[in-house]
Amino acid sequence: MIVGRRETLVGRVLLVLLMAVTVVPFISLFVTALHPAGTYPSGLSWPDDPQWGNFADAFRSAHMGELLLSSCLIVAGVVPLSLLFGTMAGFAFGHLRMPGHRIGFLVFVLGLTLPFEGIITPLYYQVRDLGLLNTRWAIILPLIGLFMPFSVVWMRAHFVTMPDDLSEAARIDGAGTWQLFWRVHVPLAMPALSSLGILLFLWTWNQFLLAIVLVDDPAKRTMAGALGAFQGQWGTDIPLLCAGALLILVPTLAVFLVFQRRFVAALLQGSIKG
Amino acid sequence: MPEPITGRRARRARRPRAAWLGWLFAAPAVVMYAAFVLRPLTLTVQYSFYDWNGIGASKWVGLDNYRRLFTDSELFATIVHAFELIVFFSFVPVLLGLFVAATIRGIATSRLATVARTVLFLPQVIPLVAAGIMWSWLLSSTGLANELLSAVGLGRLTRAWLGEFGTALPAVGIIGAWVLVGLCTLLLLAGMSKIDPALYEAARLDGAGPVREFFSITLPSLRQEIGVSVTVTVIAALASFDIVYIATQGGPGNSTMVPGLEIYYLAFSEREIGMASALAVALVILVLACVLPVQRLTRDGSR
Amino acid sequence: MAHGLINRPLITAVTLAALLTTAACSAPGSDSDTGGANASAAPVTSATCGTGPVTLKGYFETGFPLPKSLSDEFTKQYPNVKFDIREDQFAVITQNAPRVLADDPPDLMRLPQVSELVKDNLLKNLDGYATAFGWDKWPASQLEQMRVSSAGERGSGPLYAMGLNFSMTGVFYNKKLAAQIGMTQPPATLADFDTLLQKAKAAGLVPINQFNGGATGGLAFPLQNLMASYGDPAAINQWIYQKSGATIDTPANLQATQHLEKWLKAGYFSSDINSQDYATMMSRFIGGKNLFIFDGDWESGNLDKQMAGNAGFFLMPPAQAGGKQAAMSAPLTYGISSKAKNADCAAFFLNWVATNQQARDIAVKVGGSHPMGPSDAYMPAVQEGTVTASTLTAGATIGKDNGAMDFIANATGAIYAKSWTPQLQKLAAGQQTPDALLKSVQKDYETQVKN
Repeated sequence: MIVGRRETLVGRVLLVLLMAVTVVPFISLFVTALHPAGTYPSGLSWPDDPQWGNFADAFRSAHMGELLLSSCLIVAGVVPLSLLFGTMAGFAFGHLRMPGHRIGFLVFVLGLTLPFEGIITPLYYQVRDLGLLNTRWAIILPLIGLFMPFSVVWMRAHFVTMPDDLSEAARIDGAGTWQLFWRVHVPLAMPALSSLGILLFLWTWNQFLLAIVLVDDPAKRTMAGALGAFQGQWGTDIPLLCAGALLILVPTLAVFLVFQRRFVAALLQGSIKG
Repeated sequence: MPEPITGRRARRARRPRAAWLGWLFAAPAVVMYAAFVLRPLTLTVQYSFYDWNGIGASKWVGLDNYRRLFTDSELFATIVHAFELIVFFSFVPVLLGLFVAATIRGIATSRLATVARTVLFLPQVIPLVAAGIMWSWLLSSTGLANELLSAVGLGRLTRAWLGEFGTALPAVGIIGAWVLVGLCTLLLLAGMSKIDPALYEAARLDGAGPVREFFSITLPSLRQEIGVSVTVTVIAALASFDIVYIATQGGPGNSTMVPGLEIYYLAFSEREIGMASALAVALVILVLACVLPVQRLTRDGSR
Repeated sequence: MAHGLINRPLITAVTLAALLTTAACSAPGSDSDTGGANASAAPVTSATCGTGPVTLKGYFETGFPLPKSLSDEFTKQYPNVKFDIREDQFAVITQNAPRVLADDPPDLMRLPQVSELVKDNLLKNLDGYATAFGWDKWPASQLEQMRVSSAGERGSGPLYAMGLNFSMTGVFYNKKLAAQIGMTQPPATLADFDTLLQKAKAAGLVPINQFNGGATGGLAFPLQNLMASYGDPAAINQWIYQKSGATIDTPANLQATQHLEKWLKAGYFSSDINSQDYATMMSRFIGGKNLFIFDGDWESGNLDKQMAGNAGFFLMPPAQAGGKQAAMSAPLTYGISSKAKNADCAAFFLNWVATNQQARDIAVKVGGSHPMGPSDAYMPAVQEGTVTASTLTAGATIGKDNGAMDFIANATGAIYAKSWTPQLQKLAAGQQTPDALLKSVQKDYETQVKN
């Protein structure tokens, strides 16, 4: 590839600039979190006496341990089931291609663009009538439903690329459809599955609307929902709010940094297919 | 290796059984989807024809709620705001992303670019709520944005960006742009890396400059990626909720009220379930109406 | 085959759609019970917390330590009672009130405007407790705002809420800054007040900080004070109580709104008023960044602590010298959900707050406001010269002038969020005229009352 030196330089400068703009809000959040609680620090000034204790205070007053556990429980409820259901349906629509699969699949595809606000009102009454309001199930069950379009479309995209001959061979060996699915296709679908898992984890963890509407107790919400409540409670104390917000970000950021390559790949593919 | 004919016959013969099995496999997904998406969606449509406060009895009002949506200037304004947000959530990130991606294409494999991949993704990973909190602080009257302005001698421009009628909506838009620009850049960059380098070399030999190169090679090859970026960001704009809820709650006045937030307020604070549902139906249709043409334009052409 | 491909999915889809619609064809809400919680209160002989363990589920307002202090003290005296408290900012409570009361009923809840909650049978009728505990023998004005008649008008009828204390609003000022502009005593007339504001502005001070950002329309405080200076507080109460034919769009109120606009145009409020939240206002005032704030005596205790000796309080001056004074004065309303599990214990707590000596101490020291209860009840001693002392005195003046008004933001459940807040934010930004503001609020009010 032929690239001029000047172009390279301009590119680098531009990239650094863009990265700076991306990172500055995080730094500002961090610096503000170190100011004495209850003050209104201005701009990006390093405090004379950094209050590292703010993080401990925020951790305690926000019951961060409980929040982490709650979010983990919700993720544990949403992600495995969504993966299983999505994979089974993706296998059916993409590989078994039973009669009616086109229209069935189309109904799922149409759900891809549905804004959650479109169904939140009846969802509230439905969850209430099920007696699940203010429980984690109020977030888990609707989220599984709401994730179905994407999961199904995603997994179907994988299964349509699987050659029919593969199944033919397995069937001749006497495998039933379930064995065919579980023994042959699921292992082959692992890369697609793990990317989907990452996306679902992220979307569950960051889900806000369902959390604030369906669950009042912040300790039973997702991290994002808890952060909303945290703002309601500590919005009056900027440094503490910033410390809390940072703490709430840490788990996702940590997971992201560990799995960053998968993450980036998953998110990019996720947008293309979605 | 079985004979082709036998194979086909075998498949035919199996069809009826597989048919049922296929739906059995799809059943859990279908049930969850029907129970927690299709049923509420149907109910949204139904509620939109009623006047109901969510507690007492309801009254059938036909199309009244929809009529109000188009005559009540406050409600209609929410839709206008959503479209204004598209400029910031969608046009800015896509155009900026195109520009940046085209400029850094040459160094896409350098170490700096690898680091950039991680950094630019950060806003995608954090909850939008957190982005809202960070930025409300940056854009406040004593925030970093004003401090920077003062530092470069533009002190008279400083203001509470989220608190003034003229600037609140654009300020919300900028938060959205910040969240989405990294995603768009990396999407487009990934698309560019798939373009055959020989095309560029040929163009260079023809004496094309970077601008002509961009318009005659890069842009046409990126149809699909641009379509995806536009789709994702347009949905983010029309269905925006988290950022506005945290940063402005729709104020000042109603200058940043968007459909998502208005639905929430109508349904859960003003208890006009019918009106909230009508707006929800309008939003769902609006999203489809914006996204389907984009998909059609960018997908069909490239295949 | 082609036919099969088209038809079968169609049939499936139609069947699916039919299934879904039948699931949803009855009108929403038609099966909801309309049990006569409103009709009358069951007679109560003795309401106590018993001796077994009780957990009272509370939903309180963030940023106000009073209910928390009271509940702690209560647990100390009655160890079998524990509190499970959730907190939110008032705007959030206002939004959540109906559905929380209906679907996740608290035993004790900080209430926004009550009339719609009563209409929907969400609040417990407290008349039974009132008789049992003798609340009906207290000064009637204390409970008036929490009564709702069967016609939906407030001011008379059964009792649906109770106060932890009753608060007063007016103007707080920074004594040091006041001395700077030669203010030695509170203004006697509105014109005097204007002069002070002008002087402060000329001296380079920020005359007033007022919260008016996001979902808060704090300009309603100065506005209503101005309304009371220009007009009759009783007329404003009529409107707030939803008496038929009442209007906010009166000549006196127009003058008041124009006066507020004059202040805004003169730059008496800080320029970022539309992004200032309540906490910012307090932190700036305590930090000595401005001269006045319009606020209530719930801050008295706090200001005595954080600005000891440096904060003063006065009631909004009348338009003419010697005129009657008025103020927004309202109970800090707490109610019991009609579906509460521990209603008796909650009522016992509310009675304890008004009658127990320690509780009354806390109500004054922590809350800064006058406790509820009989007029001859124990009153804690308050140190001379404190803000708390001056707000309590002001309370007496208001009582004498019969100038207590409820808050204009309490006229209907949605009027604050839906009308006052956006309209006042527009006024502050110069995007709304006083006349159109009042007309618009009145129009919203009429639709909301009709519903």
